[in-house]
Amino acid sequence: MTSACEATTRALPGAAVIELSGEVDGSAAAVLTDAYERAVTAGPESHDTVVLDFAAVDYINSTGIALIVSVLARARAERRKVVASGLSPHYREIFDITRLSDFIELFPDLDRAVSQLTHPAA
Amino acid sequence: MTQVAPRSLDTFTLASEPGNERLALARVAGTVKDLGLSDARLERLKTAVAEATMNAIEHGNGNRPEIPVEVEVTQDGDEIVVAITDQGGRIHPDTDEHEAPDLVRKLDGDQSPRGWGLFLIRNMVDAMDVTTDGQRHTIWLTMRTGGAAHDERM
Repeated sequence: MTSACEATTRALPGAAVIELSGEVDGSAAAVLTDAYERAVTAGPESHDTVVLDFAAVDYINSTGIALIVSVLARARAERRKVVASGLSPHYREIFDITRLSDFIELFPDLDRAVSQLTHPAA
Repeated sequence: MTQVAPRSLDTFTLASEPGNERLALARVAGTVKDLGLSDARLERLKTAVAEATMNAIEHGNGNRPEIPVEVEVTQDGDEIVVAITDQGGRIHPDTDEHEAPDLVRKLDGDQSPRGWGLFLIRNMVDAMDVTTDGQRHTIWLTMRTGGAAHDERM
């Protein structure tokens, strides 16, 4: 199935960033899995935190939520923290209802997530 | 006191192909956009319509494009009712009677990561009902235009 989801990855000190765009639904499984692999293995450092940025995502459905659960489960098994940024108010509500926000710290945007992660005392 | 009869605002069908739920949510959103729903409640209705249509396509009509999903939007007083019908004619065992999703169990591997659809629908709208007559299976989504029943949680 063709995916309407795209992902770019980059490495920051201690954190791997996955910037998602388009639609996070069932067809995004391979995109998300590949992005996670690339992100956590990029660069010479280990990445204790994975940032999922949803600023350019316009649709998340229940199967997309399931994919995010799978990423979170894998990250937890690998002792990595997952944070999210750029969610719209509606999808923040869905993260609250599903309790994903109990396990994934939410930031309004990527800049604030990166700032917090790279300068935690700020 | 005069009773106003329910008013049909739109009726349409969709081929049962994965992804067509996006067409349903866009068309319903266009139909109800001027009926007084706040932006937040409109987003909730769109999510509920998309999830119910996905269930109809997948679980009701088995992803067979030749079997249509029917969508009707009605206004009944201060209620918007969206009826989504498939031809599966039976309770959807994977959705209608699904075990409630439990994120902790999912993260521990004790429950499938999937199974959020019906949970989302129930939490998005003011009321949800399911009817079936052995041939047609309909999910009814109700959203009040007056607001209130579901608090604005944001």
